[in-house]
Amino acid sequence: MAITRRQFLKRSGVVTAGGLAGSAGVFGNPLVKTALAETIGDRYFVILYLDGGNDGLNTVTVADNGAGSLRTHYESWRDPGPNEGGNSNGIRLSAGELAGTLIGDDPNTGAQLALHPGFAGSGPGAGGLKSLYDTGNVAVIQGCGYPNQDLSHATSSRIWESGDPLGGAGYGNTGWVGRYLADPSTMYGALDIPAITINSSVPGEYIQTGTSVVAINRLSRFGFPFDPDYGDDDTAKETAFLELHAESLASSQPTVELTGGAGTATFNASQSYPALHTLYEADRPAFDQMYDDLSSSTARDLREVAKVIYGNVTGQANIDARHFWVDNGGYDTHADQGGAVGRHRDLHDEVASAVKVFYDDIADMDPGLEDKVTILIWSEFSRRVQQNANGTDHGSQGPMFLIGGKVNGGVYGNHPNIDPLAVDSRPNTIYSQDALDDFRSTDFRDVYGTVLKHWLNMPHGTILPNVLTLDAGMDPDLFWTVENFDLTHPVNLGPLFTP
Amino acid sequence: MGDQNTPLTEDDARQLVRRLGFGIPVKESKKFRVSELTGLTRGAAADLFLTFKPKGFKPKSSEIEKAINKWYKYILKRKKNLALQEKLVIFFHDHFATNFGTLDGQEGEKDAITMLAEQNKMFRKNCIGNFKTIVKLVNINPAMMNFLDTVLNTKDEPNENYGRELQELFTLGATDLNGEPNYTEDDIGQISRAFTGWHHDIKDGTHHLHTDDHDTTAEFPGRGDKEIFGVAHPVGGGHNYGGFAGPQSFIVGGEAENEIDEVTEILFQHLDTDGENTVARHLTFKLLEYFCHASPSKATVDAIVADSGFVGSWEMVPLLRSIIVHDIMFETAVPAPFGALSKKSVRWPIDYAIGTLRSVALNPKGSELEIPGGDFNSVGELLAEMGQVLLEPPSVFGWNWEESWISSAGLLSRYEFVRDVVASRKKFKPEKLIDIDLTDPGDIVDAVTDQLGVTSQFTATQRTTLIDYLTDEGTNPTLDLTDFDTRNRKLHGLYGLVLQSVATVLH
Repeated sequence: MAITRRQFLKRSGVVTAGGLAGSAGVFGNPLVKTALAETIGDRYFVILYLDGGNDGLNTVTVADNGAGSLRTHYESWRDPGPNEGGNSNGIRLSAGELAGTLIGDDPNTGAQLALHPGFAGSGPGAGGLKSLYDTGNVAVIQGCGYPNQDLSHATSSRIWESGDPLGGAGYGNTGWVGRYLADPSTMYGALDIPAITINSSVPGEYIQTGTSVVAINRLSRFGFPFDPDYGDDDTAKETAFLELHAESLASSQPTVELTGGAGTATFNASQSYPALHTLYEADRPAFDQMYDDLSSSTARDLREVAKVIYGNVTGQANIDARHFWVDNGGYDTHADQGGAVGRHRDLHDEVASAVKVFYDDIADMDPGLEDKVTILIWSEFSRRVQQNANGTDHGSQGPMFLIGGKVNGGVYGNHPNIDPLAVDSRPNTIYSQDALDDFRSTDFRDVYGTVLKHWLNMPHGTILPNVLTLDAGMDPDLFWTVENFDLTHPVNLGPLFTP
Repeated sequence: MGDQNTPLTEDDARQLVRRLGFGIPVKESKKFRVSELTGLTRGAAADLFLTFKPKGFKPKSSEIEKAINKWYKYILKRKKNLALQEKLVIFFHDHFATNFGTLDGQEGEKDAITMLAEQNKMFRKNCIGNFKTIVKLVNINPAMMNFLDTVLNTKDEPNENYGRELQELFTLGATDLNGEPNYTEDDIGQISRAFTGWHHDIKDGTHHLHTDDHDTTAEFPGRGDKEIFGVAHPVGGGHNYGGFAGPQSFIVGGEAENEIDEVTEILFQHLDTDGENTVARHLTFKLLEYFCHASPSKATVDAIVADSGFVGSWEMVPLLRSIIVHDIMFETAVPAPFGALSKKSVRWPIDYAIGTLRSVALNPKGSELEIPGGDFNSVGELLAEMGQVLLEPPSVFGWNWEESWISSAGLLSRYEFVRDVVASRKKFKPEKLIDIDLTDPGDIVDAVTDQLGVTSQFTATQRTTLIDYLTDEGTNPTLDLTDFDTRNRKLHGLYGLVLQSVATVLH
């Protein structure tokens, strides 16, 4: 008779109850080790979500016209800021303000591109994404999106999280990373914790049914809360708690099953993850302090990721999570967006400084560890081409970032066409997959697919049917039909991830 | 199939108290006790719950934490059907979500609290009133006008933030029950034109139109006529979006103050691709998700809309009454073991926390609402960890419901809350909740689950688990709960396990 999930759980519960950390319990399952060896190996993947719709034109900004007219158009849409004789309502970034954060040229027009000056970082994160770009570790991917842009935060986030712009794939509420984790090819099982998301609920990208994704706000507070006055009863409570939840997990009612499973995973994680906080604080006080000095939630969240990676690197018992999620909120800048100073700058500074400290922390943990980490940054849409009183309404496609030691740095994809004759009536840029269009856009799934295929080592044949959608029968001028997931550098023609 | 004449069983009565309030309070007025409700017809019970005069409470203080705690304390103390009043206020607070963080950034703490407190009072005053009136009041509500940038929306610099959410969230929904879009982006732009030039005065709460900032067709002929739903719906059966035969103009009474009410009137006539009223279906669906479970069928939605006469009247009381007397109200209470098609719903943190405190008669300490045990956390701190801070919903979408509450971080905070409760040696007194002369472990388990109203939610195996816990796997076949240590170790522990279990986390 096959071992049922419930029986398996009861066994693991007994092991945990006995306090045999590091024994052949759930986490010591040799299958998990095999899975890791055959899929992502010793790599890590971090998603950083910019919540609210990040203004792409003020994220990767044209500093000159190159061989086209993008800068002229940009200036026609956005009012001058204080440094150009305007006031704080103007959100335009001047060439002078962009001088310190120049990156490569737009592959299409040759226009000089620059990151928003906030990406230069500050404090212990000084240099920010700009310095990581200069060392060749940042891929800036322009014009990412999908056809017929939906301008609702909820709907567009759902499209990005599911990897399903047509909405017809029958993915339910699962996410693209979640389906990857649940796919049999990854060999993760129902009792594994392959991913930790740093927030209070599991984000859309990670939702799935096959494994346990654990949401943790702070590792230090993740110990299981026992009654402090009767510690001699802890083991009895633990046994009963795990049995009650195992029985719920065996229920055929989906919500009961989910809650039983989540309770079990929570208990298991509470036994192994809090110690990582103490370990990190003791071993890495200098970096610990740097995150503190940045005093942003994104910095503190990335520090939690660093703690888990450090636990992995130092071989702590029962720690296997290699996929992570953090966010940075406040991008819905309908008002008070600001230009080179102000709200949008502060947000970019938070991201750039936190990522820089995190990257330095990783590189310092273990020689070459930065080569094993990739960070993906996305947002549900960009913003209106033309500013309103002092902000921007919802827009269409925008840039993504991939950051890591093995990322082949540079500018990928074309800047969206912001010629007044090329935008729609709102005005927003128009997404296009027309091969003859010089401003051809980038399908966000091509970025996901390249990550899945070349970073997470998912078999190519598995990706499209199981994780991302097919566009069969759709208009090829709108829908991306190339299925190779092999984004290549436009100048050195190397793959996005160097081997 | 039951109806308004069906008498309530004891389980039904328990379900009503739980779903229309917060837990099953130990201290309750006689008429609203489970024992008294049992035997009433569903209709009589519905009338009892829905007959109250809304109170004028508002959560106001000099500091936001104090204002929020005032509201928690107010909910904790509501008796009778005024618990339902608070459940409805929280529903509208989620449905028309605005948050302190945004308003604080715009206007500072004092004004932000004033706007939120006044809005909160408006929801309370109208919670069993007229839904169309509520939408019209939200249109000109200072907190909302700030939160969704109506005050920045001018003829020269249109801001679509409110025009979008008025349709997507407050009235129609982005798509109908068939997944078809209810409106176009152009409709958002047109509605936003109607809302240009509106301002409010925080000091006296008044609102007014700056006609100089108002978009008129006369001034902007290039923007076209001011109208919505002028486009043919791809599956609308030849009709336009909204099921209208032609474009709907909202300048019937001239281009002035009345435009925003005219827009609202049009939205309330909107028909979906089944030809059904979109607002009625959208609101009913959401109320069913809130009071019952996440997957109400279209047939149930339509039956309740029809039974209540909601279309046209827009009155909340008949709509809520039709929900309360419908079978769907009782679906999540079926006993274990649950079939694949059984319905369950995840309790909101506010319901779980306040409901638990009421169910064990624990009054948290002081204005900070500290739970005096375990880590001595405050109710507010624990609710924040569970993912819910009233007056601070994460965004205009309100909170993420159902499975989003079931994350490890959220669950662990629930477990911690329960631990703090049962470790409150001075305030948590189970000897006052059950008969401590009981010695048989099975009897003790049944007494505790009965007292909390969840006996039917445990399987036989789970009951055995709880008995094994009490006896230390049979080592102590009987218990003396009059002994201080036995009681504090095992009876408190049993309460903890039951309150942390799936039976209590869901309802």
